[in-house]
Parts: sequence; structure tokens; C-alpha cells
Amino acid sequence: MSAVDPITFSIIRHRLYRVIDEAVITLKHVSGSAITNEGHDLMVSLYRADGSLLMGGVGFLHHLTSAAEACKAIIRRFEGRINEGDVFLTNCPYTAALHTSDVYLVAPIHYEGKLVAWSACFVHVYDIGAMVPGGFSPDSRDIFTEGFSSPGLKLVDRGEMNTDIMDTLLNMVRAPEMVALDLSSMIAANNVARERMVALVEKYGPVSVDQACQSLVDQSEQSFRDRLCELPDGRWESRQYFDIEDETYRVLLAMTKNKDTLTFDFTGSSEQSKYGINCAYWASWGGFFAPLFPLLCYDITWNDGVLRPISMIAPEGTIVNCTRPAPISLATVGAIQSVNNAACICISKMLSASEKYAKEATAVWHGSHFAIFMFGQNQKNQEAIGIMTETFGGAGGGRSFADGVDVGGEIPNPIGRMANVETTESHFPVRYLFRRATSDSGGAGKYRGGTSLEYAIQQHDSPDGGIHYVVSGKGTKFSMSDGLGGGHPGAPCNFRWVHNNEAALEGKNINPFANSAEEMTGEQESISWGVFPLMDRDVLYVRSDGGGGYGDPIERDPANTARDVREGAVSEMVARRIYGVVLDDSGAVDETASEEARAVIRNERLGRVEAAK
Amino acid sequence: MNVRISASLVVNDMGQIACMDCGHEFGPQGKPWKEAAQIDEAPLKGSGGHPYSNASNILLRRFYCPGCAKLIDTETALHGDPFLNDIVKL
Repeated sequence: MSAVDPITFSIIRHRLYRVIDEAVITLKHVSGSAITNEGHDLMVSLYRADGSLLMGGVGFLHHLTSAAEACKAIIRRFEGRINEGDVFLTNCPYTAALHTSDVYLVAPIHYEGKLVAWSACFVHVYDIGAMVPGGFSPDSRDIFTEGFSSPGLKLVDRGEMNTDIMDTLLNMVRAPEMVALDLSSMIAANNVARERMVALVEKYGPVSVDQACQSLVDQSEQSFRDRLCELPDGRWESRQYFDIEDETYRVLLAMTKNKDTLTFDFTGSSEQSKYGINCAYWASWGGFFAPLFPLLCYDITWNDGVLRPISMIAPEGTIVNCTRPAPISLATVGAIQSVNNAACICISKMLSASEKYAKEATAVWHGSHFAIFMFGQNQKNQEAIGIMTETFGGAGGGRSFADGVDVGGEIPNPIGRMANVETTESHFPVRYLFRRATSDSGGAGKYRGGTSLEYAIQQHDSPDGGIHYVVSGKGTKFSMSDGLGGGHPGAPCNFRWVHNNEAALEGKNINPFANSAEEMTGEQESISWGVFPLMDRDVLYVRSDGGGGYGDPIERDPANTARDVREGAVSEMVARRIYGVVLDDSGAVDETASEEARAVIRNERLGRVEAAK
Repeated sequence: MNVRISASLVVNDMGQIACMDCGHEFGPQGKPWKEAAQIDEAPLKGSGGHPYSNASNILLRRFYCPGCAKLIDTETALHGDPFLNDIVKL
């Protein structure tokens, strides 16, 4: 069998990208939830007939490999019963999914009766029937209370909806009409992917398309192995801490690169938790691929060829490879994100050791999701459930050539974004007091980390006097956005329940237009985990974590720090104390005073404080 | 010829890990270098502006070059946790 010619290969490769693009557009057009349409908590990809990754698409990148395992699990479970027009569902985290809320719909693609490929997609569905609405279930202590979970169902049989299954599923969730829309959006996306793939095969023939797909996977493997050979051999370590209530967890990673292979070893990570921040084996596997794809394979097609040089050690019973029935509903914002962060730093340290690739290194972006799920009746007397999409706002990590992007998203989801204030206010009975970038939140560095955002909301026009929310916060005690090459870590998150109602009862004057946390009247209680009310005049204040910095802060161009102060990204106090930059009354750099300030900092570092004085 | 091994360190002709800026040596290549750095270990909460104030008992370790005071590396750690060590094989 001769290889397909280069031009046809290139055309087919680009057509595969377009198939995914069109499927994503379809998914978004059909889905009605903000988490999908605004946050882009979604993924669509294509897979080979054996379920291996053919073409990684967009969205949360840790799903590219997990959906491959979903396809393989369906192939094993339904062997001999996979037909043209079928659509299968799985959302079991111990099979392939990341947590029960992330439902995979995978569909075989046949041509003239022969299985030629699979399409797969996921969205975080509106609800999955867990203890609390939205799917994040902080009070669950096992997976049995985390909602509907299936290792594999045939939802559509030869083009016909299996209504028994659909009705059963919808009978177990809140807001079933919205969940039905989520599932419909994925069926539609798979339908479009199938139609476009069949058209592709029709045009170029099954043999040519199969050859091109095989060549594409082989090309990625060879390109990735070649890249690894260009990088130095070695072993790099990283460590992530995170806190839930009074407990502290560690994700430890040692990444070893030997010739054209990479091994990710999580030995030493904490034992699995009683809280749902654990993740299962395939989630950790996907967790380090999320930064690996963009950092090491930015010009290589993301497919099974990239996976072949990689191995993973994740001891069973740990937070990165928990055993059933450990709770897992918060895996995506828990252990998986720590795997993302730890891998980002190890990969970036390896890149930093290469003259050729050092420019690709980055400090951690948005180390801690600060997911807030709201639920209750909205101002239209509808049941409103959903995430505050600011969690996707993120903060870029500093890089070897530039600052991190302020409120600049995150590496694991290159298309993540957040809704505008008005969209959120139209869906939930809340009003924003403010939403903005946070001063001094980006990790200091020659190239500072991107600033985080802070916002405060209050109930507004709620038929029930308010609404409830789930906080699944971590990163409030520890910084999770590590710096690189001497850069400081980004600032930790913060969540506060502002008790204005109690203050009003005490006769205090409540400021209805507080423009900062400091202007709020009521007692401010730090919170991070559980279900809380947002009633009457109380306020929820949320501050996300800043991006990690890159390089020594006192090597930063003073003019850039002066600009930061002018724009509110850095305070004058931090400019002077951390960056050694002194500004005059006009806000310009006082060069003499700055040189002296930096000399003092250098002397302090070397324990020569007295000499400096 | 110096060979880069991190954002701030090289291995020099003598096979020693050295500061990229001033050449101060930290020990033989392939071995941990952090013990040879000027180390500052302080609570993270005091390391930045107001947003760092709610950090708990986490420490920020800063590893400086004893020769030129360059901040070579940072890591966060709970008290007693070991240094993160990176080994580049040449």
C-alpha cells in the first residue's frame, strides 16, 4: 500500500481540522448553557477506528486523551453491536470521563458499512443529579452521591433515539430541558462530524483517507520524538499544594526525559481524599497532556503519535489515581488542575534548559479554578443553575519574553473565556457591584504574571429573596500559580461572604454601591468550601489567583513597572519593595532612587543590610 | 563553552553549574545546586501586596546567586519539605 501523495495528505489533514471546527460551531449553536457557549467548557475531536486519537480539537485539552479512552471503552463494551448511526454515552470517571458532569457522547463513523473513525465530544451538562445542582458536590463522600454515572449506554441506535434511556437520564437531573439541550448539542455535533467525514471519504476514497490518517499519526510521533531529542535529558521536579477545609494535599511530579521519551511520575502524591477533588488514572494522563500539547507540540498535530513516547506512573489509591468509590465530582478543579500546573512547570523547566526552546517556557497560568455554581429561581421564575464563568477568566503566566496576559485565560483551554456581566445578570438574579483586574495579584518577575480578577455580587430581583451557590475553592491558603526562573508565584484566591444583613440589623449603614471589598460594611467571612446562601443584602466577593512571574523582579524594565503602577496592575508599594522601582510625583521612574533601591535589595539578599545602610 | 541548563544557570567549561550572569559556581554538573545558593525562606503572605495576605503557612523559598544576588529560582514549600531538585544531564 503506497503512501498518499503530499498534496492530498495536506488537504485531508486540513479537512480534518475543518470537520472539528464545524462540529464545534454546531455544538455551540444547539447548546443553551453559559458554561458551554460562554465558558467553552467543551471539546470535540476525531478518533481512529480503534479509538485512538486522530485529530485533537479545541476546548479543554485534558479531554482529548480521555475521550480516546471513552471510545475504546465503548468498543470493548459494545463489540459486535456498534452500528452505523449509533451514539454512545459515558460519563463514568472510573472508565474515562473526568467527572460525572462531563458527559461524553461518542459516535462511530461508517463508510459503506465499515467502521472508519469515531467522533467524540463533551460538555459539562447543566445538571447531573448530584447532591447539589450543577454537579460539583463538596459534601459527597463517595461517587454514589455525585449523580448519574454510566460506563456506557447506547443513546442513539441506528439513528433512532433510545427514548427509554434518554427519559431515564432526564428523570434523574434538575432542569431536564436544559440537559436535553446539552445532549442534543452533542448529538448534533457528532452528526455533523460524521457527515463531513463521510463526505471526505467519499471524495478521496477510504484507502487514501486511511493512509493519510495513519501518516498523520506517524508524522506526529516522529516530529515529537525529534523534538524530544533536541531537548536535554534530565529530571525536573514540581510540587503543588492545595487545601480543602483543614486538610492539605500534595501533587508531586518528577518528569524524566531520556532521549525521545518522557515519563511523568507522581509517586509521593497524597493519598486519595474523602473530598471529591480526587482524579482517576485517565484524568491524570490527560492532565499533563493539557499543557504538553501546546508547550511542546504547538506545531505538531495533536494525536496518538504524541502519546506514544510518553509513560506515566500514578500510584493507585492516591489523589491522582483514586480508586472507586472515592468521590470525584470536583476533579477538574482539584487534582487535575494541579497535574496541569505541575506538568506546566516541569515542561517549562526542561524548555528553559534549551537555547533553542527556552522562549517557549512559561510560568503557571491560572493555577486555581475558583468555580462558583449558582442555583435557585431567577427573576423570570425559572430554575437557574450554572457556573460563574469568571472561573475561565484566568491569568496568564509570565514568559521568557513577555508579561503574562492580564485575566488571560489558562493553558488547558485555549478557547476558554468568560461571559460579560450583563449575560450573567440576565440569567441569575444577581447584580455585580464590581468586576475588574486585581492590583498586585500577578507574580512578580522580570516578566510579571498576569493580574487576576475580582468581583462582588449581590442578589437582585430574586423571587426567593436570594440564591445559593457552591464554592469549591482551593488555592486560598497556597499559591498554585508557580513562578519560573526566579519569578514569584501569583497571589492566592480569596472568597468572602460579606454579612451585610447582620450589619443592617445592627443598625449600620449598608453601602449599596461598594466599589471594593474595603468599602463593604458587613463582617467579611472567608469561605472556600460548601454551599452558601446569597440573600437580601449580603455580598459574595471572589478574587482569583494571579499568574506566576518569570525571572528576577529587579531585572524588570523600570518603565514597565511605572506603567503597571499607572494602570493599577501594581501598587507603588510593591513597585518599590519588590521591583526596586521608585516613582516621582509625576509617576515617572526616579532612576537614581531606583538604582539605590535595587542596590539595597541586592544587599539584603546577600545578608549585607548593614553595609547598604 | 557554557551550556544552558535553566533560565538562570549554565554548566561552564569546568563542568561546574554556574550563574548565567556572573559565573559564580554552585558545584559539579548533574548534582543538586540549591544548597550552594543564598537561600531566603519566608512566609508567602509577606512576599507581595495585599492579595497575598490570606496565604497560610506556606513559605516562599528564594534562591539567590551568592556572587551577584540574582534571584535564580523560587519554590513554595511547607516547612520541612525538601527542595525541588532539577538535574540536567549533559
